[in-house]
Amino acid sequence: MNKTLSVLSLVLMISLSQPLLGQKKNPASSDSIKIPFETYKLPNGLTVILSEDHTTPTVAVDVWYHVGSKNEMPGRTGFAHLFEHVMFTGSGHVPYGLHDKLTEGVGGGNNGSTTNDRTNYYETIPSNYLESALWLEADRMGFLLDKLDIAKLNAQRDVVKNERRQSYDNQPYGRVSEIFSAAMYPKNHPYSWPVIGSMTDLSAASEEDVKAFFRLYYAPNNATLAVVGDFDPAQTKAWIQKYFVDLPQGKPLERPKVPLGNLASSKRLVYEDRVQVPRLYIQWPTVGFKHDDDYALSVMSSILSGSRTARLTKAMVYDTQKASQVAGFQDSDEDVGVFQIVVVPRPEATLTELETSVDQVLQKFISEGPTAEELQKAKSGLELSFLRGLESNLGKANQLINGAIFYGNPGQFRDDYQKTMAVTAADVKGVASQYLTRSRIVLSVVPKGKRDQASKAAESEAVSVVTGNGRGGK
Amino acid sequence: MRRQVLALTAAIVISLANLAALAQQPLDRTKVPAPGQTPVLRVPTWTRTQLSNGATLIVSERHNLPLVSFSITFVGGSNQFEPVARRGVASMTASMLTEGTTTKTGDQISDALQLLGTGVGANVSAEEGSVNFVSTAKNFDATLAIVADMMLNSTFPADALERLRGRTLVNLTQAKDQPTVVGAQVFAKILYGAAHPYGQRTTETSVKAITRDDVVAFHKAYFQPGRAIITVVGDTTPVKAKAAVEKALAAWSKGGEKPSFDYPKLPELQPAKIYLVDKPGAAQAVINIGLPGPPRNTPDYFALQVLNTILGGQFQSRLNANIREQKGYSYGVNSNFGYGKGPGAFRAGGSIFINKTDAALIEFMNELKGIVGEKPITDEEIKTAKESLIQGLPQRFASVSAISNAITSLVVQGLPDDYYQTYAKNVSAVTKEDLLRVAKKYIDLNHLAIVIVGDRSVIEAPLKATNIAPITMIDIEGNPTGASPGSSN
Repeated sequence: MNKTLSVLSLVLMISLSQPLLGQKKNPASSDSIKIPFETYKLPNGLTVILSEDHTTPTVAVDVWYHVGSKNEMPGRTGFAHLFEHVMFTGSGHVPYGLHDKLTEGVGGGNNGSTTNDRTNYYETIPSNYLESALWLEADRMGFLLDKLDIAKLNAQRDVVKNERRQSYDNQPYGRVSEIFSAAMYPKNHPYSWPVIGSMTDLSAASEEDVKAFFRLYYAPNNATLAVVGDFDPAQTKAWIQKYFVDLPQGKPLERPKVPLGNLASSKRLVYEDRVQVPRLYIQWPTVGFKHDDDYALSVMSSILSGSRTARLTKAMVYDTQKASQVAGFQDSDEDVGVFQIVVVPRPEATLTELETSVDQVLQKFISEGPTAEELQKAKSGLELSFLRGLESNLGKANQLINGAIFYGNPGQFRDDYQKTMAVTAADVKGVASQYLTRSRIVLSVVPKGKRDQASKAAESEAVSVVTGNGRGGK
Repeated sequence: MRRQVLALTAAIVISLANLAALAQQPLDRTKVPAPGQTPVLRVPTWTRTQLSNGATLIVSERHNLPLVSFSITFVGGSNQFEPVARRGVASMTASMLTEGTTTKTGDQISDALQLLGTGVGANVSAEEGSVNFVSTAKNFDATLAIVADMMLNSTFPADALERLRGRTLVNLTQAKDQPTVVGAQVFAKILYGAAHPYGQRTTETSVKAITRDDVVAFHKAYFQPGRAIITVVGDTTPVKAKAAVEKALAAWSKGGEKPSFDYPKLPELQPAKIYLVDKPGAAQAVINIGLPGPPRNTPDYFALQVLNTILGGQFQSRLNANIREQKGYSYGVNSNFGYGKGPGAFRAGGSIFINKTDAALIEFMNELKGIVGEKPITDEEIKTAKESLIQGLPQRFASVSAISNAITSLVVQGLPDDYYQTYAKNVSAVTKEDLLRVAKKYIDLNHLAIVIVGDRSVIEAPLKATNIAPITMIDIEGNPTGASPGSSN
């Protein structure tokens, strides 16, 4: 009883609703951008977030573990994602198949996802199946290893290899992201390998390797649970207490300081792929999403591409029509980020010409910065996309947990929104001149045998990636 | 703030009671928590009126967020309105609605929409078309005014057509490198042939042939109120929505009607055959197996929904449980019925590890033989499939655009207004005998087309050794290559 009482006082202390922030720069926005929620911690370190919404008789149960591919060791890559698969194969008290039966089998759904930084698992269910969803999540958090054997591991290893074949190896331009990760960061940097891992590492993982990884990272103190939707809060808290409170706390985790990407000099690469249309990719190292420059970099993304009158799109797709498509975006993780541009040429244009066009547009943009209207247009879409994100229980759950995991504040989405609305033209000009003038990587993807189609082909270094499709392997 | 604190106090009282019970009894984790009472299905209500120009207006209120979804759906699509030699003109025309009006340039339209924070979608698919957006409630009227201008006053500039043509041609070239796209296109061509709209697609030749006159003519013939369903869902009222729509579309005058969906006769069914498209170096084989199926209005619809849920509609369906989960040959396989106004295809398939193509095909065939009788459907399978379909219904009303689709599709498909209220009853009524009957009727094992895109040098010999069906080599257009099967490259 001692233990449980202390839980309750903790509940009382922590579960104050998020105060509404009063700052209103843009009166057109923000009043509707809110998610009422409460949050508390169990003594074993599990963070809980609850948010009621009775619009439809459904609930989302969402669990994030603060572990991703960056926590893996070189030579053992792909574990976090392999786990995402293993987590659906049953646990101590849950036979294989029951998880699906209690979710999609009752009209709901389930899935998981893995990034460099975190892994998430969720169930979307009719509200009368909430208790069983909590039971399922608690069981795999506490008792996954009870039922994990090498046969199970091998079966999911094969599935993951097929996922790799489908999403990377058999996909035109599918190797681009891993080529960039390897080229952008020093060897053994935590962001230098792909989330899905390499075929070799996936084959090499032993049962013990995998279990050790689980014990370290899949403990309540490294997890956040959100329940969003049509539920009764008192009953739900009682269930959470019942199923999660006695799961043992894991070892305290160290979060190593990860250095930002920083290229000593620019690189120029060419990769031959089974494609007919070449593509030009340019990537600059920037900052992660916790850095304040991330807001201005995101605003810059929608000024440069996305709409018809965005700078790169207008110049290259509409005016000169050298490009069929162009996209530029800030891609940020917890510790690092990159700004990337992709250009698909029209047949008559060369990648060298396109690179020159991109540079001309950027130079002009860096020197003059955005107009007031460009800034306004970039921000206007934000309110609508925030609101649409709030339509689904799962969308809300992800917003809340994202804040809790990375910032210790489930209400972070609101700060993010306000900071984005507060970005000025000078901020955007500042990040453009700071980051887009840095050393960069230019990657040309060209048809097999057409290395001469690369941008500045003579100066480009050929990348060979291990084909990794395991042909011939049994 | 007060409410939150009050809720907490209540929570403490209840939790304490619960914890006291817990302390007495250790938790038995093997006990699967029983579900609570099934929540009452809440189907959104809507009003339906006819505008003076003949268009149908549907309005459904939802006030949880300040959002409004708007769409104009046109009954009939490229299959009904596109000349065969101009395949692609429907999509091209829809795209050109954003390229300028009598009073605004394309750039001005884009800027205005960006300032309103929204984007407008316009597209025409095989059997219907749509112009749509979701906006904040406060920007609804202004966005609708721009959409009306695009619909009624577009100028279709010739240079924009050339730009879009160039882009479409690049997209068509890139699609040839996508094994899943090639697989789907070839599958349709084999099933329906070039003479049936279901077997046709946009090609380089048809795109090159499209003129500005074609676009203008298509626009005039197609975007007519007589076949339009206007659906407004969200933070509005029927009165407000009707006033806004009537004001914005006042100049849209009567015309057009719903097309007939008379499709040509299907080509005669062929004995089961493997059609192989060579994709040298491919890490996976893309498999599509099937044959033409029933239209959406088939009386067998509910039985087929239950059947497909068991066969390949879910993660734990027979196909995926076997080929992905037990055998590990794939990242995921599934099956579906295409329905539509015509004979949409039954299809089973997925992307398979190239070295396991033969083994996977054997399992596909085993499961298809199983579902038509060799492996009888169990009561448990039927119960789960029905529950999944019935309890999944609320998800169709989870957002303003989802509700809009849920209501509009009833009207497009000619289904009754109480379709969702009677859905559970109709699904529940399906019997085991119904399932066996529709399985035998629609999954005709003797006439399956098996279309595989993969590396011939790796898979041809093993496929031949399965003796499942003879192999024909075809190109990415679905035409025989002339290379005799069995010869190696």
